[in-house]
Amino acid sequence: MNRPTLNRLWKFLRNAVVAACGLAVVVALLPSKARSQLGLDPCCAMMQVGLNSISGLLRNVVAQPLGSIQQNQQQSANYEQQVVFPLAAITQARNMAVQFEGQFIQMRQLFELPISSATLRTPQLLEQSLLSGNPGAMPQITSNYSALYGNVMPPANAPQSVRNMVDMTDAEAQAAMKKAVEIDALANLELQAAEQINQQLQTAAPGSSTILEGETAAWLVRANAYTQSAMAELVRVRSIELANSSGQLKFSASHASTLHTTGNQVLQPGVQ
Amino acid sequence: MKMKTLELLRNHQYRLSHSRRWLFVAVITLYLIPSYTRADGIGDILSLFHTITSTLQGPIGSALNEMRTVSAAVNKFRQEIIWPLSLINQTRSFVSATRAHYTGLMSQIEGLKNNSATLALPMQLESMFRGAQSGSIGQIPSLYTQVYQPVALAGIAQPGQRNLMDIDDAMAMDSLKTSMVSDQTTQGMLTLADSLEQQAATAAPGSASMVTAQARVADLVTQAQFAKMLAAQLRQEATKLAHQNATLKHSATTTQNLFNQIQQVLAHP
Repeated sequence: MNRPTLNRLWKFLRNAVVAACGLAVVVALLPSKARSQLGLDPCCAMMQVGLNSISGLLRNVVAQPLGSIQQNQQQSANYEQQVVFPLAAITQARNMAVQFEGQFIQMRQLFELPISSATLRTPQLLEQSLLSGNPGAMPQITSNYSALYGNVMPPANAPQSVRNMVDMTDAEAQAAMKKAVEIDALANLELQAAEQINQQLQTAAPGSSTILEGETAAWLVRANAYTQSAMAELVRVRSIELANSSGQLKFSASHASTLHTTGNQVLQPGVQ
Repeated sequence: MKMKTLELLRNHQYRLSHSRRWLFVAVITLYLIPSYTRADGIGDILSLFHTITSTLQGPIGSALNEMRTVSAAVNKFRQEIIWPLSLINQTRSFVSATRAHYTGLMSQIEGLKNNSATLALPMQLESMFRGAQSGSIGQIPSLYTQVYQPVALAGIAQPGQRNLMDIDDAMAMDSLKTSMVSDQTTQGMLTLADSLEQQAATAAPGSASMVTAQARVADLVTQAQFAKMLAAQLRQEATKLAHQNATLKHSATTTQNLFNQIQQVLAHP
């Protein structure tokens, strides 16, 4: 081989070696995956330590409190199911509502038994109106009352003061009779409402029964108010009765005074 | 195009000296090497681990511990303050004891007989209307008539007077019958009250509201029945008042008639 050829060969080999070394340096400097996968990188050890630390924290800091919370929740749920809201007690209360329904219906039917007792035609008509429990029968009460007890006497038959007292008494007696019809009708409605609320109770839950309790309490307030109005009417009846007694006493006193005056005049000396 | 590119590269190769060529390779190599990648990756991982750890220890761990504390406190509050089992059982025992103590006494008082009539017919009537048996209502008119006599016959009393007698009798009998019905329903109500008390003795805090609602409904029924009794009393009182008034009207008419008759007598001696 001649010299130029050797020189060219030498240059080629030199360039090739340099290029190979440069490539090796570049490859060595690049973050190759092969080194990580072999586990030789200190980064892997650091990751292992870090993950172990996280795992320990998850066990101690997260899992343990969560387990404790779950235990508390479970205990609370058991307590509520077994002590506070036991299904057996709830079912028993519902069954009681079913049992009560029959009792309520029976009581209502007892109060619907016919109790009329009058035997003559005119009293029968008034009694029928009074026991009807029908507020629509109010006008009939007025006419039936007049037919039975009569109207206020004509002016010729009694002084105006007596006529006033008689009219007032008739008015109060009729008002009391009408109030009795109203109260009967209201009581019938209250009994209907009670039966309906009781039916709701048969399927109620502890949470909804308080609503029904509130509804019933409202009805009770209403019922008490109606009872109070009936009591007021009763007080008025007795007041008129008392006023009549007083009025009669006043008339008697007036008559006695008139009689006394007349007697004195008759017995005066010189009077023929 | 390819040929032109190769020729351009070849010309460029010739123009560059050997040393410049190596310098060029070195610069390109340095540009290609991601010299900070590995350092940055490790730093990021460490930073990430630190963030996760501090998050677990800080916000998550603290919140969970707080939740555990609250949950335990709520649980304890419910079991020891709101619904303590010992107090629940004690209350049930109290209800049972109250029922056992008072039921007998109240039954004894309730069982006392108030009948006071001494003669045969009044005794029968009294026994009937105090019997609290609505099935006996039909017997009231005959017993009442035996004691208080029937309405006067047409020839004996005037029609107005007969009507007054009849309506007075009717209202009296109606009220007696209503009182019999009321007594019977009172017995039913007392039975319901006993059932409610028994239920209360075995109720749980959760079912007690249902028992209370049931008691309220029974209370409403009682109130309605009481109203019916009050209506009966109103009818009685109104009838009594109307009777007194009718008597007054009759007296006025009678007096006027008497006055007229006296005038007629005096006018024709």
